[in-house]
Amino acid sequence: MSIERTTATLPPAISVAGLRRVYDVKPEPVTALGGVDLEVAPGEFFGLLGPNGAGKTTLIKILTTLLLPTAGEARIFGFDVATDSRRIRRIMNMVAGGEQSGYGILTVREQLWMFSQFYGLGTREGWRRVDELIEAVGLAEQRVQRVSTLATGQRQKMNMARGLLNDPWILFLDEPTLGLDVAAARGIRELILDWKAAVPGRTVLLTTHYMAEADELCERIAIVDRGRILAIGSPEELKRRIQRESIFRLELDHLDGGAARLARLPGVVSAALAADSDAEAQRVVVNLVLVEDAALGAVVTALGGLGSQILALRKSEPTLEDVFIELVGRGFADGADDTDGAGGHAGEDRGSGGGMPATAEVVVAEVEAERVEAGR
Amino acid sequence: MSAPAALAGSPGRDPRADAEWSRRRVLGNNLRALVGRAYPRIRGMAGEPSWVLFEILLPFLTTSAFVLVYRALAAPEAYVGFVVLGGALSAFWLNVVWMMASQLYWEKSQGNLELYFAAPMNLMSVLLGMAIGGLVMSSTRAIAVLVVASLVYGVAFDVQQWLLLGVVFLLTLTALYGLGMMLASLFLLWSREAWNLANLMIEPIWFVSGLNFPVGRLGMLGALAIATIPFAVGLDAMRQLVFAGQASLLGTPSPEAEALILVGMTVVFVALARWMMRTIERMARGRGSLSIRWQ
Amino acid sequence: MSASERARGDPGATPFVPSIVAEAGAGDTLRAFRTAALLGWRVESNWTDPALFFIYTVARPIASLLLFVVMIQIVGGGANDEIRAFVILGSSLWATLVAGIAGPAWSVLEDRERYRMLKYLYLSPASFLVLLVGRGVARLAAGAIGTAIALVFAVLVLGLRVDVARVDWPLLLTTLLLGIPPIVAIGVLLGAVCLQTRQESWSYPDAFAGSMFLVTGVVFPLAVLPDPVEVVGLLNPITWWIAGVRQAVLPGGPTSVGGEGSLWTVVTGSASPDAATVVFALFATGALITLAATAIFRLSERRARDQGLLDRTTGS
Repeated sequence: MSIERTTATLPPAISVAGLRRVYDVKPEPVTALGGVDLEVAPGEFFGLLGPNGAGKTTLIKILTTLLLPTAGEARIFGFDVATDSRRIRRIMNMVAGGEQSGYGILTVREQLWMFSQFYGLGTREGWRRVDELIEAVGLAEQRVQRVSTLATGQRQKMNMARGLLNDPWILFLDEPTLGLDVAAARGIRELILDWKAAVPGRTVLLTTHYMAEADELCERIAIVDRGRILAIGSPEELKRRIQRESIFRLELDHLDGGAARLARLPGVVSAALAADSDAEAQRVVVNLVLVEDAALGAVVTALGGLGSQILALRKSEPTLEDVFIELVGRGFADGADDTDGAGGHAGEDRGSGGGMPATAEVVVAEVEAERVEAGR
Repeated sequence: MSAPAALAGSPGRDPRADAEWSRRRVLGNNLRALVGRAYPRIRGMAGEPSWVLFEILLPFLTTSAFVLVYRALAAPEAYVGFVVLGGALSAFWLNVVWMMASQLYWEKSQGNLELYFAAPMNLMSVLLGMAIGGLVMSSTRAIAVLVVASLVYGVAFDVQQWLLLGVVFLLTLTALYGLGMMLASLFLLWSREAWNLANLMIEPIWFVSGLNFPVGRLGMLGALAIATIPFAVGLDAMRQLVFAGQASLLGTPSPEAEALILVGMTVVFVALARWMMRTIERMARGRGSLSIRWQ
Repeated sequence: MSASERARGDPGATPFVPSIVAEAGAGDTLRAFRTAALLGWRVESNWTDPALFFIYTVARPIASLLLFVVMIQIVGGGANDEIRAFVILGSSLWATLVAGIAGPAWSVLEDRERYRMLKYLYLSPASFLVLLVGRGVARLAAGAIGTAIALVFAVLVLGLRVDVARVDWPLLLTTLLLGIPPIVAIGVLLGAVCLQTRQESWSYPDAFAGSMFLVTGVVFPLAVLPDPVEVVGLLNPITWWIAGVRQAVLPGGPTSVGGEGSLWTVVTGSASPDAATVVFALFATGALITLAATAIFRLSERRARDQGLLDRTTGS
């Protein structure tokens, strides 16, 4: 029975219902996850975005069988994380950024072989797989180098190789490119994409603080904060949710009467000259906010009447970071604390209490309402 | 950075089916995990020979010091043999305390423990792997101390029951390492105190186990040690078998009885270790204390 | 003050002159030592935890002591009080020695493998060696309490008789003080070794201390050793330290250095060294080992930097 034929009939790669996790710490218990519902399909590349202390790592720890939920249910390909951990461990793996696991005295090859034995590969099969993966992650030159002497990027490549040793069906990646340079991070991302694309049904759950990374890799993203999922959707859907108006950037050779002429047109919310306009060089840039895309027609017609020539027209899209700030109400840099999960739960429970709202749209609306109330 | 061979999976697979392992595969996984965990121990020894000085030569000198105490006191020569045997067997005890009991705590500090728990094998296999890796070093030390000290100090062995001696030796090791596995779970639970507990288990245990003298001389304390500490009962049984007929060794159970005590200890320690490992895994998963990094 | 002003610094403040901190003075060294010693005291001698107090200062020293006392009891039966006192005093002092030796060595291993702080300590302006010495002294102090408790136990339970009126207090004080540098120096020597070795070197200080049992006259006189080994003992400051304390606490008792058939007696013709000789020998051998340990530590430090060993983790 091949995966192609069964993907549709498989249970979700991840299914989480009413998941709560409360850490019993002093001075008072802290709620890291306040009732999370989530479903990730087999073969999906799913991202978790959230500020420090949002509960992302707590969720990963529960899904990787390292932590038990306080309430609710979590399943991996239908296996319960609380009672079926052995089965889950046979088909999953995890890699974290900055991971320092293993033994510094071993070479890269020996270290990976040791882990291959933990994952149940045969001795010879283990060595073969280790050599293939060393090649795949680009560590051929370091294969007999001691682990303790590896550079950060090399170490993370080795960690990735470890994560793929047992050819898992689901791979949990906790900030896998943390602290890596551009080239190394790109290498890791390409590896993950190549690995995932090679077999239908391979599933990835990624947490990252790099928006561009999430945008590039993830098919769907959940934005998490204070133990709740604020929104779920594809990057495009999430962006659309916060874009209530159409924003265009117009480049003209000249504009008689200035941007104010455009602002008076029907369907135009605002029109303003951009800072990089240069009238002397016959380049006028206007930032145009329209009620909807259709209003652009009236603008183009009006410009024709004014004798302005359109040099360029570009629609501005919000970024994931805009979405994040809109939903969470603050950027990553403003996170309440620097830790996540068990240790970071101080401050995680800020009275949110309840479970996940019914839909992401409602959440957006709630956030909006809160912002209005706050006078922002 | 792409190598299709490494990334391509086996055809015709399915996650639900892949999660079901036969008993044979589970056993194979655990045996391989055992070998895998023993590997760095043995590799470490080979890569850093300083242990020859610190684990063999210096302990031999320590044993020599005890021998010379007896010589200075003009003690019967049999006592020299007792010291040499105690010195040899102490290697296994030190291995259990330093390289096994406190090891899970170290694995946690190094960030390995979460990967061990997240891997499909049983943690007991990892512990056994550590034990076997350490056993190589301990055995080398024990043999070296036994052989060299015997030659230098002219120890006369009188073994009449070789088979029983072999059985007792193996039982001593299994009971010792069973205890080590149990302690590893406990030390993981007590975390920071583990280091101090390891310290507590050197001289005080050596004293009550009769490292350098027949444990029977300690009276009730010795009897208690024989009933509870595998090092004490194993050492006493082996002394009785290696120095047959020594009057100074009287007053403790026969080697056969002590072998039975060792069997009982093995069963109890291994069962307790298994139970504690499960309990502690459940507790650690409940409390979220399997990893340092994510705390 | 604006961000840019802050970046430029407070114009009213004393300008930063790098040369001010380029050379650490004696005051800085003393401060580093004091900080390390206090840190060591808090880390390794956590008196708020009665269990730790029991383990380090009661259980281990008393068990070590009992190991020997029972040996004597079993064999000697009626071994005379002098021999018993000789062994009890020697093995009680061992708690201080082992603690002092283990301090710097375990600091290296703990800070590197457990706390992952070694590289930061190394990067601090304070001398790494001074920091290790500070940690060693702290542990030695904890060990000294263990020695004291073992001696009290010996007096109360084992019947050790010490005539306080006959104790040579100046000699005792001098010997105890002069013994500190060489003990810590040996610890630094072990620290230098542990800087190069794996995490599993925890037992090295114990093993090293154990081997010194053989050559320093702790529980038997050096005279029973072959001549070459006896020479090693005579060159060892620990031998003189123990001999000095013994001579001060148990005047007229058996000596570990001299006696019939000893190299000392053969060469010097005297039955045992007098107090001044013991103090001088302790000072001289102590100075030698301190210098040697410092040099070896520097070599080890250089190699550690060369090989990148300061921030590795080496468990296996």
